[in-house]
Amino acid sequence: MLESTTGGATAAASSALTLDKFGAESARIGRELADQYHRYHIETEEVDDVDPLPHRFLVEVGKIGLAKFILSEVFHYGMKPDVLLSRPCTYGVFSGPVGGFSPLPKLCVGCLRCTVQHPDFVKVLPNPKRLELGDSYTTHGHIAAIDEESKRGMVPVRGQGYRGRFGGPGFDGMLTDMSEIVRPSRDGIHGRELIGTSVDIGTKPMHLSFDEEGNLQGKTPNMFTIQVPFIFDVPPGDLGTAKLAKVLDSTSQRIDTLACLKAADIVKWQMDAPNIVPIIPTQAPEMAELFPKARLVQLDGWDKDAFDTLRESTDALIGVRIEFSEGWQERLMKAVNNRVDLVHLNADLHGRGYDDNRFISDLLKEAHLLLIEKGCRDMVTLVGAGGIVSADHLPKAIISGLDAVALDLPVLFALQGRSHGSLTERDAVKGTLPRKMTQEWAEQRLTNLCASWRDQLLEILGAMGIREVRRLRGEFGRSMIVSHLEDEAFEGIEGYVSGGVA
Amino acid sequence: MSILKEFKDAYKGVVREPSPELLTKTTGLMQDGMRARAMGDFIPPEALGDARWTDELILSTWYMAETGEIPDGLNYKTGKSDGGFDRLDFKFLPESDWLEHSEAIGTKLDLNRRGDAKKKLTCDIPWYGGGMSYGSVSVNVMMSRARNAARWNSFMSTGEGGYPPQLMECKENVITQVATGYFGVEEDSIQAAPIVEFKYAQGAKPGLGGHLLAAKAGEEVAKLRGSVPFVSLFSPFPFHSTYSVEDHSKHLDWIETVNPTALLSVKVSTPHDVDMVAVGSFYAGAHIIHLDGSYGGTGAAPEIAKKNIAMPIELAIPKVHKFLQDEGVRDRVTLIASGGVRTADDIAKAIALGADGCVLGTTDLVGLGCTRCSNCEGGPSGRGCPWGLTTTDVELQEWVQPDWAAERLNNLYSAMQYRLRDILRQLGLSDVSELRGRTDLLRYMGRDEAARAAGRAAAIGLEEIQ
Repeated sequence: MLESTTGGATAAASSALTLDKFGAESARIGRELADQYHRYHIETEEVDDVDPLPHRFLVEVGKIGLAKFILSEVFHYGMKPDVLLSRPCTYGVFSGPVGGFSPLPKLCVGCLRCTVQHPDFVKVLPNPKRLELGDSYTTHGHIAAIDEESKRGMVPVRGQGYRGRFGGPGFDGMLTDMSEIVRPSRDGIHGRELIGTSVDIGTKPMHLSFDEEGNLQGKTPNMFTIQVPFIFDVPPGDLGTAKLAKVLDSTSQRIDTLACLKAADIVKWQMDAPNIVPIIPTQAPEMAELFPKARLVQLDGWDKDAFDTLRESTDALIGVRIEFSEGWQERLMKAVNNRVDLVHLNADLHGRGYDDNRFISDLLKEAHLLLIEKGCRDMVTLVGAGGIVSADHLPKAIISGLDAVALDLPVLFALQGRSHGSLTERDAVKGTLPRKMTQEWAEQRLTNLCASWRDQLLEILGAMGIREVRRLRGEFGRSMIVSHLEDEAFEGIEGYVSGGVA
Repeated sequence: MSILKEFKDAYKGVVREPSPELLTKTTGLMQDGMRARAMGDFIPPEALGDARWTDELILSTWYMAETGEIPDGLNYKTGKSDGGFDRLDFKFLPESDWLEHSEAIGTKLDLNRRGDAKKKLTCDIPWYGGGMSYGSVSVNVMMSRARNAARWNSFMSTGEGGYPPQLMECKENVITQVATGYFGVEEDSIQAAPIVEFKYAQGAKPGLGGHLLAAKAGEEVAKLRGSVPFVSLFSPFPFHSTYSVEDHSKHLDWIETVNPTALLSVKVSTPHDVDMVAVGSFYAGAHIIHLDGSYGGTGAAPEIAKKNIAMPIELAIPKVHKFLQDEGVRDRVTLIASGGVRTADDIAKAIALGADGCVLGTTDLVGLGCTRCSNCEGGPSGRGCPWGLTTTDVELQEWVQPDWAAERLNNLYSAMQYRLRDILRQLGLSDVSELRGRTDLLRYMGRDEAARAAGRAAAIGLEEIQ
């Protein structure tokens, strides 16, 4: 921007603007701005596995059948090397020194050409160990996708169409809309690189007030911005180790987001930092004084007295964690009316409310609409967690009303950890991280996951023609609910019951 | 070449055009294997199938491609996706009221309903082949589809990759596609086409444009597309010259100037306002509105786009059909559905929901051996489909010989036409056009009934076969 020319009259007279001066000044300012320019980007790098997932398929080859086949080949084709050494796999499953006698199932992608060509002695089977990963909500498919995203940091691209069920429960029953050829509301996207994914954390004033002289009245809004619409949540269950905390710390610094950790752990591991969000127990709000660098602290539940004490103890923004359990609406409104800066809404890890079993997308919509109805939606940042285990869940949760999501289980699987038992209750999660995990490796894996999910968010936003994620918040009109579409399409067809659950 | 070097190259897997002996051996094994699997000589491969295309659906398609007949003991009608086509069934009449099975039961599809001076094109069957570009598939696959289309007085689309000269042999049955990257768009190929198709979006990746990853953009592919070999190609989204229905109209005018007799088809995906898009396309001059649903096939697409963006075709057809009816223009435009249409039963259901006909893509490929392994984009080998379908690899593409493949497609279409007539006669209809929009002839199956109908795959949970 050109500097103001409202300086003294003398100075203005002595430096009358000429076309040359104007050009030179414009160029100088342009260069300065260009030097300052930095486009947000997450650097990715492919990293090796340290504890790979069980491979997708088992390959069984009957040795006698194979030997007979080779003999017949020699008999039919003689010394034709290209024929004798040709194998029914382009992925190398039979490429070892002894070919099919010792197959390499980890290379199998399930094209099944071998078992179709040689049905009498080759079998390809789904690997039961792979199918056992995760649980009924966070399936082996989710875990495999997270693993691939964390390995390469890219958007997974494959051939063929969709392979799964029609619609489905939870986020599967929500589709995102896209902008076709004639929608007038298009932002005019000309490249995904121009779509913004930054999110403001904190309270926005509902209006600005100025005195008679035009000076801004009141405090300047206390806000800051993170570059991606997701933060790292407190590691669930028994995963909250110092080692993992350090990974969350360095990764959140690197990609410019936040990591939530228990206050006591931050003290124990000396991790106070601007990117670390201490979770402070309502019984000990004065702990906030121990975190002078924090930009945001969170109370682990709504408690007016604790909140007041916390306000006195810190200049940081204050958030409150609220579970979707009975009375959450009341707690949410009390917290907002008392001017908390952020509310962190939690469902269980299957994305269900703790009392009524409603899915998180419905609960988030209710929270978002409640705040709109009360005229205070922009006074608070909404972050949410629970059931967000896939890249498509991120835009769907934002459409449902969140400003940003908090990642929990995806962190475990990004680092090739394994879960043991149910993944429903946060406190009950049992998991192990790879013994060979190093700080550098883990940081890159988690960074890759973040890059991949951000890029996939850009795909969705690009398809919609939306140029910043902030505009997606609560845009229910950008989603389509399968059950509603079914009602419209199948109404009147014999046997159809609304919702399609008959 | 010395025998030692030949052994070394073969051991290292050096890729070159296959020798006649290797071609005979490999195609023989593949074809024998497919036949044996389809005929039930062996149990279905344990890892075959997914919720959309169950093992039985794939094997029944192979059976039909092999024999030209409907299989016994294999489900050839539905998958196990628990919704859409897989929950719909027909309300057949009592057997005493069925019509005789006869070739007199009409299956023709009129493509020009505008009543203008352009060609009055008709397919013998109410479906034709969807766009698969040169590069995403080989010339052999394109040729086999084109020859089969000629046999059936039907069509197949070039997709967005240009017009390989070999296709001129079947030019009366080849639709030229113009898509957002304008790859391979030439005056000659537009003038040769009976139908020109504007692809605004694709169901599997709506709003994202097209992808051809570097490994498959070889020299011949690049030459036809006017690009640099082995550089990934991305068609942008949307047409950057189209931001209104008036701009769209200009596009169609442009084609009309180059080829005044060609019918104009507009392919769009299925956003919430697809009905408005369809009407806009009609008023812009389209003869065919082609809706591509979100469960459709692709040579390469971001996984997040499949399913999550836009709506399945079953939900879009009635929406558009009703809107065109309300606008009073339904009988002046041909509504075509694609994106997850797999079987003759699906085609009949799509028509009952309001379409005039369908476009098939994946079904053709499954008929030629596709197992839906999803490595069309190149896969870890970088060479593309190991079955020789979605590849231009000099060796792999030879596994699909055009004559063999065209014969299989012909068989498949024969069986599908037979099944379509079977459905029509059991509904008491003598022509497929009588089925359009007859949702009163459909019923919605309960979950358990649909699962039982899916056959063997019913024993496997949805998660396990995803």
